[in-house]
Amino acid sequence: MIRPSVVLAFALILLAPTATLRAHDNYRIIGTVAQVTKDALDVKQTKDGKIVRMMFVEKSTVTRDKKKVPVSDLKPGTHVVVDARGDSLLELDIVEVRIVPPPKK
Amino acid sequence: MTHSPVPPPAAAPPSLATLAKTTAVSVLVAALLLVTTVLPAEYGIDPLGTGRALGLTDIASPPVAPAAEPPKGAALVPVQNGPLGVYPAAFTFDTYQVALGPYEYVEYKYRLEKDATLLYSWSASAPVLHDMHGERAEVTDGVPPEQSFDKQNRREASGSHGSLVAPFAGIHGWYWENPGGETIIIRLTSAGYYTSAVEIRSDRSRRTRELRSLDALPLFAPPAGPGGQP
Repeated sequence: MIRPSVVLAFALILLAPTATLRAHDNYRIIGTVAQVTKDALDVKQTKDGKIVRMMFVEKSTVTRDKKKVPVSDLKPGTHVVVDARGDSLLELDIVEVRIVPPPKK
Repeated sequence: MTHSPVPPPAAAPPSLATLAKTTAVSVLVAALLLVTTVLPAEYGIDPLGTGRALGLTDIASPPVAPAAEPPKGAALVPVQNGPLGVYPAAFTFDTYQVALGPYEYVEYKYRLEKDATLLYSWSASAPVLHDMHGERAEVTDGVPPEQSFDKQNRREASGSHGSLVAPFAGIHGWYWENPGGETIIIRLTSAGYYTSAVEIRSDRSRRTRELRSLDALPLFAPPAGPGGQP
């Protein structure tokens, strides 16, 4: 006899990974690197000085002049343009980090 | 004399056949939930029509701009009379100016009904990446929610002048991106049978812009009175 609760539990376990595959919005964060770890990048936004944390994922790339560079090229103070995807500024996965020259004043 | 508690009999482990059956039924239930609820809600894929019936497809593609009511309660849809397109109300005009900081982008779009016309001219103080495109008001299975109208998709230009006949109801307009480190000013002038305008910034903030009717334009001097006096 198969218990309904067991079936439901199995079904939920099988569906769990799909919950993370959502249709997200595109965000662009512009500023300087505040902190970088192997999992996350904190960027201090140029427009308001607020720090936005974004997560590195498997497909995240870091580029300079359209060429891929290692994450180690990101240092505190580096000017970056980050394209990220997520549901809000509090939950962003990095698509691409572009290292750019400092904006002209 | 004391009695030691008797341990309950151990439950027999399920047989391999029971485990296999449980797994098979679970996979079936999961697949059913995936097709009937998860795919419609997350991606707008609705092969069985259950997403639409349950209102789940709206979650995948929420309306991106408030649909303002056209004047006099009638949609601004043209009625074709030979070469003429006749509308139930006067056209609207709009001017929009934005300063794009280094590497910023902005989208600016108008709500147009299918076949409604828009005239535009825009210019930028330096070359910008641009793309004119539309987002459908209603998502249909198998039809992409967005469509680019610009063959020079996201190429650099300093301006453009033209007209658009909306191929579908929805919001239609521009993506402009500053590719460099200096602020760029973009100016747009338009007129057309649109009912609202929305600005979408790179932080996904949306701002609905107020539009002006023709009455707001001081196009004509007051009519002269008797003896030529206004």
